[in-house]
Amino acid sequence: MSALHYLADGFLIAFQWQNLIYAFIGVLIGTAVGVLPGIGPMSGVALLMPVTASLTAGLPPEMAAASALILLSGVYYGAMYGGSTTSILLNTPGESSSVVTTLDGYQLARQGRAGAALSIAAIGSFVAGIVALIALVFLADPLSDMALQFGPAEYFSLMLLGLCAVSGLGGKSMTKALMMTVLGLLLATIGIDNVSGVARFTYDIPDLYQGLEFLTIAVGLFALGEVFKTILERDQSAQEIIKVGRILPSKQDLKESAAPIARGSLLGFFIGVLPGAGATLASFFSYILEKKWSKHPERFGKGEIAGVAAPESANNAASGGAMIPLLTLGIPGSGTTAILMGALLMYNVQPGPLLFSDHPQIAWGLIASMFIGNLMLLVLNMPLVKIFAKIIETPPHFLLPMIIAISVFGVYAVQISTFDLILLVLCGLAGYFLNKNDFPLAPLVLGLVLGPMIENNMRRALTTSNGDFTIFYTKPLSALFLVCALAWLVVPLVMKRRGKTVVINEEA
Amino acid sequence: MNLRFDRYGSIAFALIGAFFITQSQYISTSAYGSQVGPNLFPLGLGLLLVVLSLRLFWETFQSKYRSDSKAEAGLMYKRFFTILAATLLYVLLLEMIGYVIATALFLYATFLVMGSKSQLKSLVVSLAFSVGVYVVYVQLLKGTLPGLPAWLSV
Repeated sequence: MSALHYLADGFLIAFQWQNLIYAFIGVLIGTAVGVLPGIGPMSGVALLMPVTASLTAGLPPEMAAASALILLSGVYYGAMYGGSTTSILLNTPGESSSVVTTLDGYQLARQGRAGAALSIAAIGSFVAGIVALIALVFLADPLSDMALQFGPAEYFSLMLLGLCAVSGLGGKSMTKALMMTVLGLLLATIGIDNVSGVARFTYDIPDLYQGLEFLTIAVGLFALGEVFKTILERDQSAQEIIKVGRILPSKQDLKESAAPIARGSLLGFFIGVLPGAGATLASFFSYILEKKWSKHPERFGKGEIAGVAAPESANNAASGGAMIPLLTLGIPGSGTTAILMGALLMYNVQPGPLLFSDHPQIAWGLIASMFIGNLMLLVLNMPLVKIFAKIIETPPHFLLPMIIAISVFGVYAVQISTFDLILLVLCGLAGYFLNKNDFPLAPLVLGLVLGPMIENNMRRALTTSNGDFTIFYTKPLSALFLVCALAWLVVPLVMKRRGKTVVINEEA
Repeated sequence: MNLRFDRYGSIAFALIGAFFITQSQYISTSAYGSQVGPNLFPLGLGLLLVVLSLRLFWETFQSKYRSDSKAEAGLMYKRFFTILAATLLYVLLLEMIGYVIATALFLYATFLVMGSKSQLKSLVVSLAFSVGVYVVYVQLLKGTLPGLPAWLSV
């Protein structure tokens, strides 16, 4: 029962007043991020990372890391709640994982049942969040125990698996996704080499010795990239927002959506745990599954409550599930978790199996706070959904410049250098053009975060084997990971060749 | 997909890869106690990037390579470049003229460029944001931001 004991300790951390406030701010901003079209969870978390860093600057390091993580992951799963609001009211998904919700949600809203759809989405998200968390509590210990057996060779192969999984599903073209991964890894080599202390690709520019700062690149690529995109492409067509109406769902709605919520939660959780497959895929799959299992498949797309309940539960469960590989193995499976990992590393906390033994406050405090955060979200989303719907009406001519200003403030506050600000603007430009041309950004960020670790482990493994590369496939576990990695790349290719459409994971 | 971007992009990425390959020649090939030096990882990745870029270059010549040239006309280049220039100016002047002035000017200008109707409202919001952030961050949280320039400080 040690897991429950740890969880109780975690609640002690999470119930500290400042952490309650951080969790509240996190989920509040997360919901807003989810509601606002144009800012997804990835740019939201990236944008807030420097802000939290400055907010928590006065705290002792462990507490600061715990509080920052509580806030940032609040943004992550809060966005999953908020995304449904615009899907239902505006027929515009607030983020990619709510795309399927528009199919039935908007129809429901047009029938005057917007309130019911919104509350079912909130209830589904809540149930799913709790399911994912319970699974996380019980899987955390065994998984991190297992991961403690890994040597450098196993870690190298596991990280390779993570990278391949994200690249394999990363976008319309696998070649481009792989190129982005490799570019991320290459950019990570700039700076002083961790193992030998040799300066690489620095050319006597002092700003480069530390390496390119992850934070700057992430904020630039996602937050600024999105802003540039909206500035260039937005056509100022104001849409009419549907009135929310009665909020509480009827008994009939609850009965019809109970089973879809349960199925969506479980499916979403398992998809979330898999690296590479994130919330977007989870919501797609659960919608398809629900349509197959339904007694009236013809009602889907015309306003079926199950078509809202299942995908909304699935995307929230997936975001909870994605925390498992991040926390226990130290391998982020998606762009957003990669940014969360970057935040942890910024606080000098290494996610992975040792996180639970070295920093139990952070790991369990975070898990406990996610229970509280989900409860807050349920409370926030049921009665306050009308207020959040108002956020959509924020005039973009104020919002967009302010996002630029917040990005600049955040990066400068942490880095205090003009070099990083220029890099920030360049990354914003690169982010816009790459994303526009289907070069996915999530693999790049993942490569950047994992780069130093994957290189360290590779070189440690090769050092123990005297430079013999066979070590990676003679160790059974490592070989297994490599085979899986290969499968992530080959299977989608084979399926494409057979003419099947492969559901790809846009940023999640 | 934009065929031209992909074709030139693949060449650019191949050049980046080649750059890393050639430059990694100057990094030592071994580290103390290990045969594996700090050059190996960038060298291998550089090669991989070149191979992948060539593959993308080749892909763009395949007949089935889709090129849906979406209407580029709707893009608001003028607005975009104005804001980009404003951002660059803001970033470069930040340390010189201080956070409050630079931010207020930047926000005021960009609000108007983005189509804010009311001059007064833009002015109020931009001042409130820049002063608010400065006071909260520097006075309350004891952070560091460039203050007012020396010739203005009291």
